[in-house]
Amino acid sequence: MWLEAILVGIIAGFGILDSRILGDNMFGRPIIIGPLVGLVLGDFQTGLVVGGTLELIFIGAVQVGASSTGDVVTASALGTAFAILSHQGAAVALTLAVPVALLADRVGDLARIVNTPLIHKADRYASEGNIAGVERMHKIGFVVFFLNGFLPTFTMLMLGSPFMNALIQSLPQWLLDGLLSGALLLPSIGFALLLQMMISMKLVPFFILGFLLAAYLKLDILGVALIGLVIALVLSQYDRADEERMTV
Amino acid sequence: MSHDVEKSIGKKELWKVFFRSLTLQGSWNFERMQALGFAYSMIPVLKKLYRTKEEVAAALKRHLEFFNTAPWMGSFIMGVTTAMEEQNAREKEFNPDSINAVKAGLMGPLAGIGDTFFWGTFRVIAAAIGASLTSKGSAVGLLFYIFLFNIPHYFVRIAGIMKGYQAGIKFLSNASQSGLTQKITKGASIVGLMAVGAMTATMVEFHTPLAFEFTGNKIELQGVLDKILPSLLPLLLTLIVFYLLNKKQVKVIYLLLGLITFGVIGKVVGFL
Repeated sequence: MWLEAILVGIIAGFGILDSRILGDNMFGRPIIIGPLVGLVLGDFQTGLVVGGTLELIFIGAVQVGASSTGDVVTASALGTAFAILSHQGAAVALTLAVPVALLADRVGDLARIVNTPLIHKADRYASEGNIAGVERMHKIGFVVFFLNGFLPTFTMLMLGSPFMNALIQSLPQWLLDGLLSGALLLPSIGFALLLQMMISMKLVPFFILGFLLAAYLKLDILGVALIGLVIALVLSQYDRADEERMTV
Repeated sequence: MSHDVEKSIGKKELWKVFFRSLTLQGSWNFERMQALGFAYSMIPVLKKLYRTKEEVAAALKRHLEFFNTAPWMGSFIMGVTTAMEEQNAREKEFNPDSINAVKAGLMGPLAGIGDTFFWGTFRVIAAAIGASLTSKGSAVGLLFYIFLFNIPHYFVRIAGIMKGYQAGIKFLSNASQSGLTQKITKGASIVGLMAVGAMTATMVEFHTPLAFEFTGNKIELQGVLDKILPSLLPLLLTLIVFYLLNKKQVKVIYLLLGLITFGVIGKVVGFL
């Protein structure tokens, strides 16, 4: 178990560091973490499917600025790992992902608190004109964030695997089914959060239009987005025409 | 203080800033957020422009002030800041306070644009397309996901630092005067909202197996609902959650637990 726990821990560390020091390429998401965990545990295909399913659940989980609704990285790493190790598939990952995301998020808060003395030390180096000192403080943060991903994942896998397996096997089927159908409703929260971020009264018709295009015409997301792009371009031309009339 | 013209910024420094900008959030903390990452990214420029300890110290302190924006947009602000630092190193009468004023003025609007574009639009579309493929076992979805998000990402990052530097302050006053930033945000919101509408119709799996006996005929409730409006239940659910979140200020965790409980009860009672 040691080797697997270390490898999955490293994947979680990588997932956190993606948004910290690699430019935020959106690699710290279930769709990427799932297949990576699958790869190290010798079941890429299950990792791929579980990651994709988790991604659809977490698609709207908002992590804008300082606020967040959960550590998606740790949740997907542990969820996928237990799904593979217990041979129970996506249902297990979905059941575990939400509580783990909420718990691991507190660890993320801790990392952000641990980092605070770094900037005070950097202040001191700055007033001495010590460039290397400032750089060193920044890089210590990288280690803190790596551990933020690695430690919870590694610990849970080392402690949890037999315990988790026993727990999962003992759960009645109706509960697993129920948890799964509940989890499949969760994207609605993500979409509501996105709506809250983007919507204004004037823009409500666009949400409805997107819904109708998919519900009645069965268009896929890319098709709907491209139509949206055309509408946005056309509207921006009307905006310009309005302004020109006003300035004349 | 010596101010020779030789110390000018070239492509080499800008690329160095670009690579360092990837680590913007590497030491994120609650007090000053991305400040240390910003200072770290600017170091190649500061090294090139300033010689004396006093100058370096003043510049480092300047960039250790509070900073936070959408990470993908950071390099544009760094480009603008580089242009201003260069001016500061050349002109005695330049007021260095204006550098932080410009940074502060840019980080808010760009955070809004960046979150709308990258978080709200590109990520959502990339994940929706990618995950709908991988969840069915097709690894091609990974490529869709990675490239749909990261081609625009790196385009904006690289163009950001180069154009930000070239245009400097000039672009900024123009953009805010002509309302360009608002227009861009509005356009991104339209595309994003339509995608969210489409996802509401297709990705919330909410249908009911309930059926009734009516004058000897079996009537399935889901079939009736589909005739009224396909995906009616997912739409209603999403709107209810939006209402609870927006008007009632219900916390996300309660909504999560509530929906899971609803799912279990629904399965046991038989309406799900």
